[in-house]
Amino acid sequence: MGDTPGSSMHGVTGREPVLSFAVASPMVPTDTTAKFDLPVDSEHKAKVFKLFSLANPHMRTFHLSWISFFTCFVSTFAAAPLVPIIRDNLNLTKGDVGNAGVASVSGSIFSRLVMGAVCDLLGPRYGCAFVIMLTAPTVFCMSFVSDASGYIAVRFMIGFSLATFVTCQYWMSTMFNGKIIGTVNGTAAGWGNMGGGATQLIMPVLYSVIQNVGATPFTAWRIAFFIPGWLHVIMGILVLTLGQDLPDGNLGALQKTGNVSKDKFSKVFWYAVTNYRTWIFVLLYGYSMGVELSTDNVIAEYFFDRFDLKLQTAGIIAATFGMANLVARPFGGYASDMAARRFGMRGRLWTLWILQTLGGIFCILLGRANSLPIAVTMMIIFSVGAQAACGATFGIIPFISRRSLGIISGMTGAGGNFGSGLTQLLFFTSSSISTATGLTYMGIMIVACTMPVTLVHFPQWGSMFLPPSRDIVKGSEENYYVSEWTEEEKQKGMHQGSVKFAENSRSERGRRVASAPTPPNATPDHV
Amino acid sequence: MAASTLLFVASILLSSFALSCNASGTFSALQKSILLTSSPKSGQVLKAGEANITVTWSFNKTYPAGTDSAYKTVKVKLCYAPISQKDRGWRKTKDELKKDRTCQHKIVKRDYKPESDSVTWTVERDIPTATYFVRAYVFNAEEKEVAYGQSTNDGKKTNLFEVEAITGRHVSLDIASACFSVFSIVSLAGFFYLEKRKANASQQK
Repeated sequence: MGDTPGSSMHGVTGREPVLSFAVASPMVPTDTTAKFDLPVDSEHKAKVFKLFSLANPHMRTFHLSWISFFTCFVSTFAAAPLVPIIRDNLNLTKGDVGNAGVASVSGSIFSRLVMGAVCDLLGPRYGCAFVIMLTAPTVFCMSFVSDASGYIAVRFMIGFSLATFVTCQYWMSTMFNGKIIGTVNGTAAGWGNMGGGATQLIMPVLYSVIQNVGATPFTAWRIAFFIPGWLHVIMGILVLTLGQDLPDGNLGALQKTGNVSKDKFSKVFWYAVTNYRTWIFVLLYGYSMGVELSTDNVIAEYFFDRFDLKLQTAGIIAATFGMANLVARPFGGYASDMAARRFGMRGRLWTLWILQTLGGIFCILLGRANSLPIAVTMMIIFSVGAQAACGATFGIIPFISRRSLGIISGMTGAGGNFGSGLTQLLFFTSSSISTATGLTYMGIMIVACTMPVTLVHFPQWGSMFLPPSRDIVKGSEENYYVSEWTEEEKQKGMHQGSVKFAENSRSERGRRVASAPTPPNATPDHV
Repeated sequence: MAASTLLFVASILLSSFALSCNASGTFSALQKSILLTSSPKSGQVLKAGEANITVTWSFNKTYPAGTDSAYKTVKVKLCYAPISQKDRGWRKTKDELKKDRTCQHKIVKRDYKPESDSVTWTVERDIPTATYFVRAYVFNAEEKEVAYGQSTNDGKKTNLFEVEAITGRHVSLDIASACFSVFSIVSLAGFFYLEKRKANASQQK
């Protein structure tokens, strides 16, 4: 098949066409000589995703990986539910609070891009452990903070830890077969994102427990930050002692020469940035994942101020926003897959547009709601819409490019954080816009920035409003995916993976698959 | 789809009307019939947890007798001056008393006495750094505000004082924080070094 184990950025995606928990032989043959708890393929990647098992190495890796990512989400957003106390202690203005929110999501734009290379060089196990243990001191640093600039700086540094998203997805791709990697990665990403919700519950509870033990408010919140800090250290140690890079062992011990992609980075990068669809999805993800991150930062304070709730009550409500990820994100992927079965890629695009626009509409209504029950209802529907849209986005990303999938996934992820930073800067930092109005404007921006999905057109499958190309050559999957390779590269046979992928992607025609005419140059030369 | 959206919008509008039907008291409707003085001089800085404030209040006799017949209880509060409300929407002054956030810290609650009353209060340790004045609200038997008095003028410009809050930091916390941070970095480096050594050793075998 030609993929080296754990090749760069392979599998850094949320979803692939088949939503399945197991791959049957003979679709992917089982390696019967391997002695693992789960059936594995020829690369010793698991073919089955057994959620409640801790079997070494595959399922154990899954749990270590998503819990590490979850921990980093907890610490990145740990300040958010405690802002009503922190803003008094540090004498913050609304601008300071907003800037800290922007800072908390900006750091990881950079760290996520670097993490891909780190995983190639050191393996995902060390990548994860490095990030999580090197950001532990930044979490502990919260106890030192005494003014706005310190607060913003520390939140910026803690935000670097969100690079564990990349290690999480990368590590899953070394352990699980490509046919189920979509479900595995989607579940890991969704459960990790839940940390942003869990923290809204955990931190106020910790704060009140510490207060009851006798600390004053301005000390209690500082002590509360020790718990996420300890979680970082504990998870780092667990990852190092219990984890391994590859099904057969660790990177260094196996003496592999590093998981460097066989492809040239400059080429892969070129095909990513010159594909207009990449940029549309960078924008779109900024208004599904991005608004989710922004809301994680502002929603607890919003409910505390607007509806006069206790800190813990505001935290519980804010938590339901983030915890919806447990089911909402996988639901989005599932809805995308279901739509694709009937309508192919056009169904996926419509599903994404509907989910994300609905999220935007309910965000507008959330900002306008004047009573608590209505606000909570609008918030829950908004959360499902936004998070399902995240899942649906990664139902489409794998099809934008086969060659540059890793970079496109990475850029999309970075776009999410960028969108979050931009939104917080525009709507939640200025004193002249109340948070309620900010939410309404954010909702309007979501609806507006989701419109470009109507422009995404695949010649072989069509777009939301246009049918696929009638041309036999231009309307074929092969033509689209193989066009990313030059003649020279095709001579060397580098494009074989894309040809195979193109064949498999015919499912994106929806019900029309059976009647698809065979393009003239379709038959690949098997090596 | 359209019908359910209409229903949503309608229910939002209805509930917002329902809220506004509960006409709550406004600040501008209150009588300023209480004379109030507080001990801090204008511009004085008080340390939270240490300094004291003595507040004295009494009924302003220039008002007609019988004005205070409905007064039942008095709540004395520490209130933010305009400069500390700037860019901080959570401390905003609103005329509608239920939504007003000017006075967030309670000093004392007493029964109303027409003669002078006073209290000496130690500034608590959860009072944030800001500029303040003191205000007393008077409530009737139904727990609704009916009168007030404050230590500053109507524009809230005179006789303001400051509180310097505790930092909340402690040396023990700082030390613990440093220890755990060092532990984290050292154990990471240690693991890395040990595994590299094991890998080299197995290579040499």
